Formats: sequence, C-alpha cells, structure tokens
Amino acid sequence: MEKSNIFDSARDMASLIGLLPERNKRIKSASDAPAPFDHVRDLASKLHPRRLELVISSVNYETPTTKSFIMKSADGAAELPFFRAGQYLSLRSEVRGVSISRPYSISSSPNDAVDGGFYQITINKKDGGFFTQHVWEEWEVGTKLTSSGPCGFFYYDDLRDSNEIIALAGGSGITPFRAMAKDIIENDLDVKMTLLYGIRLADEIIFDRELQELAKQAPEKLSVHLVCSEPDEKWCGPTGFMSANCIRELAGDITGKTFFICGPQAMYEFLKKELATFNLQHKHIRREVFGEIGDVTVFDSFPKELADKTFDLTVNIAGRKHTIPAKATETVLVAMERASLAPPSQCRSGECGVCNSLLMSGDVFISPENDGRRLAHKKFGFFHPCSSYPVSDMEIKVMRS
Amino acid sequence: MAGKQNQSIDSSYDVVVIGGGNGGLGAALKLASKGVRTLLLEQHNVPGGFATSFVRGRFEFEASLHELSSIGPADRKGGVRKFLEDESQCDIEWLPVPEAYRLILYGEGLDITLPFGIEAFKDTIAQRVPGSREAIDEYFDFCIDVSDALEMMNRINKPPEKLLRDFTDFMKSSDKPAREIAENAKKMSRFLKTVPCTVDEVTKRFNLPDEAVKILYPYWCYLGIPMSRLSFTIWAAMLIDYMKYGAYVPRMRAQELANAMEARIRELGGHVEYNTMVERIIVRNGKVTGVETAAGDTIKTKQVICNASPTVAFNEMVYPKNEVPKIAYKYSNARKHGGSGFVLYLGLNKSPEELGIKDYGFFISKTMNTDDIYGSMNRLSNPDMQATICLNNAVPDCSPPGTTIISFTTLFMMDTWKDVKPRDYFKLKNSIASDIIDVFESSTGTRIRPHIEEIEVATPATFSRYGNTYGGGIYGYELDPWDAPITRILNMKNEQYIDGLTFAGGYSFIGHGFSSSILSGRAAGQIALKNLGGK
Repeated sequence: MEKSNIFDSARDMASLIGLLPERNKRIKSASDAPAPFDHVRDLASKLHPRRLELVISSVNYETPTTKSFIMKSADGAAELPFFRAGQYLSLRSEVRGVSISRPYSISSSPNDAVDGGFYQITINKKDGGFFTQHVWEEWEVGTKLTSSGPCGFFYYDDLRDSNEIIALAGGSGITPFRAMAKDIIENDLDVKMTLLYGIRLADEIIFDRELQELAKQAPEKLSVHLVCSEPDEKWCGPTGFMSANCIRELAGDITGKTFFICGPQAMYEFLKKELATFNLQHKHIRREVFGEIGDVTVFDSFPKELADKTFDLTVNIAGRKHTIPAKATETVLVAMERASLAPPSQCRSGECGVCNSLLMSGDVFISPENDGRRLAHKKFGFFHPCSSYPVSDMEIKVMRS
Repeated sequence: MAGKQNQSIDSSYDVVVIGGGNGGLGAALKLASKGVRTLLLEQHNVPGGFATSFVRGRFEFEASLHELSSIGPADRKGGVRKFLEDESQCDIEWLPVPEAYRLILYGEGLDITLPFGIEAFKDTIAQRVPGSREAIDEYFDFCIDVSDALEMMNRINKPPEKLLRDFTDFMKSSDKPAREIAENAKKMSRFLKTVPCTVDEVTKRFNLPDEAVKILYPYWCYLGIPMSRLSFTIWAAMLIDYMKYGAYVPRMRAQELANAMEARIRELGGHVEYNTMVERIIVRNGKVTGVETAAGDTIKTKQVICNASPTVAFNEMVYPKNEVPKIAYKYSNARKHGGSGFVLYLGLNKSPEELGIKDYGFFISKTMNTDDIYGSMNRLSNPDMQATICLNNAVPDCSPPGTTIISFTTLFMMDTWKDVKPRDYFKLKNSIASDIIDVFESSTGTRIRPHIEEIEVATPATFSRYGNTYGGGIYGYELDPWDAPITRILNMKNEQYIDGLTFAGGYSFIGHGFSSSILSGRAAGQIALKNLGGK
C-alpha cells in the first residue's frame, strides 16, 4: 500500500467528524434551565445533616442524679432526622472557653424525632468529668447546642442479629435501650428484647416505671430485669453483678441470641470475662463504644512504666505550631483540648475517624479494642487522637475544624 | 518536608484542585510532580472520594472499588500503573484478581467462569459455545485493532483537534515497513468506522451465537448503559484492557491508592487541605480568578481543576451566577447522568473455603439483555443484575482468619430514589439487601445469611452524602457514542465555557471508573500545565 493512500477511505474520517454535529445539536437543543432539584441529596441531608442546631426545650429529673434533656430544632423545624434506635449524637458545648464535644446516646425513639420533633438524651451527674459537670450546671431550657446528626453502629439489624436480643445495661448505659425498646413496641418489630439492667443503688434506676410499663404493654416483646449490686433492705429483685450465672438465670437459653451491651468501662471489663464462658460467636456480641477509656492502664499491652510520664506534644493546626504537655494516661485529644486546641471529634472511642490526624514523629499506644484505623491510614501514618495515648514526645498534624 | 506539611493555606496558587477523588488526586499528583504550586482542597478528612474504605467491627470494607484496569503486572505495566509508579513513585501494593469473572444467568441456567488473557478467554467461550470459534476470533481481532488505534493516538500526545491530522502525517512520514503501516492503517480505519456505533451495532455484524454474546457482555455494568447505546469504542478498549492486563486491587483497599497518592503529593510540595469544602469558583469576564471555601478562605488562582461534575460546578459553584453562560447549562443538561450505586457489604464469620466461595468476581443476573437490566434500575426493588465480590479471593488476609468479606453492587438511576422518605429508608435498604442475598444464595447454592457478623448498606443517598455528586451518581455522564470520550475530546475546545476551568474525574472527558478517572486527572493536570505556559 502506498503511504499516501493510508486514508483512502474518507468515509472513515467522516463518520468520526459526523458525531460532532450530533453532539452540538444535542447541546444546542437542551434546556438552559438550572439542573432539577436534587431529591437524593435532599434525602441524604435529611438523614445525615452535616450538623444540627438544637435548643433544649425541657429538662426532667429521672433520678436525683440523672436528668433528661429534650432537644428540638433551634430553627423551629417540625421534624428532626430519623435514625436507628441506639445511635448517638455528638453534642458540642463551650466549656470554660473551649469548644468540646461528647457523644450521648439518644434515649428517645426514632418516631419521636419525626412525629414529635425532638431528641432526648439522659445524663448522669456521676458519670464522666468536667464536661458532665458543665452540662449539669449550665444546660437549661433555652440552651442552644450544636450537634452532629445521629451516628454510630449500635443498633439492631434484622439481617444480622437474632430477633431475640439480650440487652445488658449498666448505669446510664440504659439510654440506647430505652430508644430500642420504644422502637420495637411503637413499630411492632418482630423482636423480643430481654433487658438486664445493672444498677448500684435502688434509687439509681433510670426509666424504672417507664420500662416496666412498656414491658406490661408488650410482654412478648420486652422483659425487664433489674440487678442491684448494693441493695438496701427493701430490694427484692436479683442482686450482685451481672455474672454469667445471673444472665443465664434471667435470660434463659442464650443459644443463638444476640447480646447488646452498653455501660461503663468497668462493666465491659467484667462482662468480657463472664461472657467468655458462653463461647459466643463474635456476631452475637454487639458492644456500644463508651467514649474515652477511663483507665488505660488496665490494658496488658499498655507500658505501665510510662504511666506517670508527661510528654511534649507538638501540634500543627491551622498553620500554627504549638508544643503542649501530654500525659501518657490521657488521650492525645484530651491533651489538645486542655490546651484550647479543639480539633474535630465525634465518637471519642477510636471508631468514627473524625479526628483522624497525621503522626509526624513519636509514638502512641492504642488499645487494640479501640483501634478503628484503616490499614492504609496505619501505613501512611494517620491515627485517631481520641483513642491514642502518647508514649514519647511527638509531633502531629491535625486537620482544621 | 515537615515545613511543607505545616504551611497554612496561602493566598494564591498556580492551580487549585477541587476535590480529592481519583481525578483530583491524579491531577494534583501530575502538577506537584512538575513542581507547580498546587493546592488540593477536600471536603472530607480523608482523601479518595469513593476510593475509600470503612471499618465495621473486625472488618475493613472496600467502599466502591471492584477492580482496576490498566494496572498490569510489574513487568508489563498498564497506563495507570506507569503513571502511579514510574511517573509519580506512589507506594501501592497491587494484588491480581484471579479470574475475569464468574457469570451466572440464573434465569437461563448459565454458569461459567472466565479467565483473563485474550486467548484463554476466547478458548473458554469457544469451548462452551460450539461453532463460535471463528466469530470470537474475528470479534476479538476487531476489538484489539480498535484498542490499538486508541493507544496509537495516545502515543502521539498532541492536542486533540490536531490529533487525526497529525496521525496521518505521522504515518506518512514514518519510516516503518509498509506492512506495519498498512496494519496500523487497518486498525485506524476500524476504529474510525466504529466511533459512531453502539456495542450492539458492531457486535451484531459478527456471527456470534447468542450464548457467546451473553458470556461476553457482563462488563457492561462497569459502564452502566445498555449495549444498545454504549459507545463501541470505549467497550472495546475496556474489554481488551482487562484481557491484556488483568485486573488488580490495592492490598489495603482503595484507601491505600488514595493515601499513597496524597502522601506523594505532599512529598512533592503540593498542599492538601482537608475539611475544606469549596463553595465558589470565582469567575470574572469568563476567566477563573479564584475559589472561596466554606471555611472562609479566599484563594486566588487562574487555574482550577474541578473533580466535581460540570453539572455541580455550573449550577452551584461558579460565582457570580451570571458568569455561567447559557450554553454551559445546555451542555450539562444535554447529557444524561449515569447510575448511582446500591452496595451491600457483609462481613461473614466463616472463611471462603468453609462457605465454598471460590471466585472473586461474580456477575449474577436474571438475563443478559442489558436493556431489561437497565430498565430494572428504574424500579425501587432489587435490580436484575448484581456484581458481587469476595475480597478474600484476591486479598487473602483482608479479614481475620475464619471470616469473609463479600460485597454486592447494583445500580439505580437517581430518580428511582426521589420519593423515598427518611422514615422508610432503613427498612427499604434492608429489604433490597435481603433480596440480593436471596439471589446470591439461590444462584450459587451458598448459604451466607446465618453468618452475617457485620452488615452495611450504601444507597444513592450514601453516595450523595460522601461524594456530594448530583443525585448521588457514582458513574459520570452516560457514554453514548455522541458523548463518548473521543467525541468529548474532539469537541473540548468548543466546550471550554470558562477559561481556566478544567474538569477531572468520572464526569470529565475519559469517562468513569477508577482508571479512567485517575488518567483524566493526569490529563487535566497536563492541560493546566499548558495553560500556565508549559512548565
């Protein structure tokens, strides 16, 4: 073939060039109106708003040391985002001039959010530290709060879980179970929940009457058992801690049932050993993350010889560099918050990744149970300050809020 | 290095890249490696967009990646791998996907596993479908020619409008033997002739038995428009790429790909800022002058590379509004948005061996009539086809011993979800998910439902939430011949409605999918470089 005759077929070329008039015609004849309303984004923002502005509309005592806060939309919206019973809100408040957030389980039901336009959270004065104290002293009707949308993975799933669930609650860990119990009954879910609720003193029972009434209303869906560790003489129910024997006695046959656990760190540590005797499959134990670990030294892998140490933490945030003290027994996040550096955070349990930061030098301890990092983040030096404890001087880069 | 990582955002950059998805990362990587002062702004606190992963319990799930094309083995790299490794020194561990796919057409009793490699693939079809050998050979020869022609055009690497003329010149002045020139001319001719054609139009000219066509077609779902409309060129290029280079996945999910690119961008002196959503692309007299972010930054630049779609850019970002010419709205309205995804992710508490799951990628469908399947994506129920992946069969240690990660992807057109109420949302998710599980179990005979330890379901709303794409789209504009990459590239100059605004990613000119998006970013970077005066 002659080189000059390579493209003897002009038609080949024409077929290609012919597409352009078609394209141009289609563009010219299209509408010049803005794109139609994006319904999918609307659905996404109703389910998962990037933030919520809430206002406290009422405050009720549940026990002498426990208050429930009813919160509505600050801009008067009639509905709040629907959610899955058991999820939490990350609420942000100014404490002594520093903006800090804490996760709180929603104790109201998903229907309440849509039909009643409110969320309820329930806080015990005895749990937690200065934030709880702040809540207790400062939050009142009219207080405005910034919140995340509902989040977290502690909820019943009909494709994953047995429809017979055993809920183990300790102290104010009862809050997500109130939401779940109400959800099961209000929406007539095909679920049977056996709730074992551990309390220390008889006057510490949160939602006592309410739970009993729910159980009376739908005994085939909910049964409630209170277990008191320090009973007075009037107490007539089960006593002690929630041991394996106690669970078997109250919950009956546990085979194939799904455990949901929410309570303080000490309860988890205790239950870990008790439940081990049942040889449960992983899938049958669902555990709510409980915020920061109160005492990191309980983990065998924590370097105990460092427990008294304080390290230099250099934080690069918003283009500035700060060097601050950081105790080995407090999370990197807490160290930053003490220094009025407030990076974004949400679950405070290593799970959600909102506080994801770059570890430029130095080392941290992360308890294996609270290490929610992705593999690639480990490889490229990212970590979650909310579940990481300094074990050397370190330099980090924190993302802007 | 540390000094560069710590800088705050400066008041001006040579190029601002909006969005750290595959396209934005590809663009920033290209620019940073050329020493251009580049700022990459990402709305989330991790890079990748849909190239990401998430952790539930003991499992880390792959969010959207099935497999990458154009990677290839280390000694025979495809275009994407060359860009990432040779050009950009990104640190990614690639693992090969063991087979092309297992196709199960449960309505028709067809169950066949196809290997990679052109000869092996052809052999498998020919063995299964007697009398198809000759047609299969011819069909593949034709597809290879089209794919080769595209590669030749790439190699010339000239501005698109000059490309064809230059190719003629190139061939004329070539000192290659006449036989090779004739061969190349044949390839070019085949390519040119079929540019306006759909896949069906070309495929029907080969005497392929129906069953052979069914076995050939499943990859259509990676592009998401029926074969009666899909551009044949892009189909041939994709099919041949997979057969030649196989498919690969990063060991640590797509998050490794994203973070490797991001780390390299920073090492090269590029600036990456997270939790920073760009609200405005500032335009004056038809030229980009800067961007404004939701965090309150104002940054001057003459070059913006936008990983968001033209639809989102023209409708929501370009500011002031009167800087969007009417033709730009027409341009984005003329095009049809591709599908959004519905993905069911399961962490199972049995190993793939215990479950009897031997394959990596399954295409399971009622039928291989792609018009029917596409139609089913418009109904709010389990669509006809699912693309299922058992990650352990490419990444054996992706989950703890004795467990399995399996995910199921289907597509929905975005309007299908428009009337869903938040209250019904979670129930709807699980009801579709349950149907997907039923189809998998009954068509493979594998029982997985009792072993679900972790479950997550992503819907169009999820993709909207994380990607902020219009309608939650995960595929870009549909690839009809009139809107296929070649046509887009040829008309690019005419469609430059705002000076200094270049698009990258699934909605830009190469089309969607991981590899195309990454390469579109690289190309967008090159365009910005040229606009800056060819640094």
